Amino acid sequence: MRDYVRLTGVLLIVCVIAGAVLGATNYITEDKIAEQAVKANDEARRSVMPQSKDFEKIEEDKVSEILSNADYDSIREVYEAKSDGNIIGYAIKIAPKGYGGEVEVMVGVDSEGKVSGIKVGKNGETPGLGKNATTPRFQEQFNMKNWTDGVKVIKNGTPKDNEIVAIAGATITSSAVTKGVNQALNLAKELSGK
Amino acid sequence: MKLWKDFTNGIVKENPTFRLVLGTCPTMAVTTAVFNGIGMGIAATAVLIGSNLIISLINKIVPSEVRIPIYVVVIATFVGAVEMLIKAFSPALDSALGIFIPLIVVNCIILARAESFASKNPPLNSIMDGLGMGIGFTLALTFMSSIREILGAGTFLGKTLFGAGFEPALILILPPGGFLIFGLSIALVNKLTAKKA
Repeated sequence: MRDYVRLTGVLLIVCVIAGAVLGATNYITEDKIAEQAVKANDEARRSVMPQSKDFEKIEEDKVSEILSNADYDSIREVYEAKSDGNIIGYAIKIAPKGYGGEVEVMVGVDSEGKVSGIKVGKNGETPGLGKNATTPRFQEQFNMKNWTDGVKVIKNGTPKDNEIVAIAGATITSSAVTKGVNQALNLAKELSGK
Repeated sequence: MKLWKDFTNGIVKENPTFRLVLGTCPTMAVTTAVFNGIGMGIAATAVLIGSNLIISLINKIVPSEVRIPIYVVVIATFVGAVEMLIKAFSPALDSALGIFIPLIVVNCIILARAESFASKNPPLNSIMDGLGMGIGFTLALTFMSSIREILGAGTFLGKTLFGAGFEPALILILPPGGFLIFGLSIALVNKLTAKKA
């Protein structure tokens, strides 16, 4: 009987200490981690729209209206890119469904309707295959695509102006990113009223 | 010297991947690219040293009947705290190694060394064992991931090695290729070490 008390007692003490250590660490790091996430998001926006000076989140009700539209099911966040008070484009965060869950991508669309850059962020794609979506070689293919023609995926060969070549062995990932970019292009077109 | 022996033990004689056949699951998952292999190896080494040290320090007060749950709690706490600290204070390190850290909690090499070495040996020896095992694990991962990335993707550390005519053998970066390379690697290591014996 005393053994049970002793054994469970030790285990209890260890768990209490472990809980306290984790709690304390969380208390110290919580704000910092949130801050880093905001910073990373901001950097992603800046990298797809380098000419913009600052980014403003668009109004809440407009966002919820966009998010409830089934045509925009990949859209997550919309920011207006501004320079000296004028809107020069949009930074749109999309999260289309890839092979291993959602693929976060930041898309920059300028006011002329061209993709100024995309940046593939957090994703669960297969390393060596779908993960290659984060390489500049794949991402740069989207530059200068426009909202009139949209973007299409081809498996191999020489891409036309509105086409990109899929990553070898990762057609699902390539199509997912493309689908999201097309939604971002359409949304930017709608928002700019052109 | 005993410390040196504890250190080298994990590199060849009891290499965790090829000799003890531990941590097979993370090995399959991360050896698709050399960078991932090295990243996982370094992260696991750091955790191994830390957990071995803690286990070795507390082994006198831990009743042997409940040692396993206590080890699990200690390792999980250690990894959890390290993950939060890295996320908060070193985002660059987090973006490079962040995805490997949660995988380490379930890495059985850590628990195996806690049970079979750190709980029976003094702290300094346990640190050396953790370091040696970590290096052995890293070397094994680097070896396997080099083969898989070069032949399966035609790249090394993300850089393209061959001309456009090279068609990579995609199967090698997919799970079946992982098992093939794993089996062949163990066979090779067995062959090489058998001669000495």
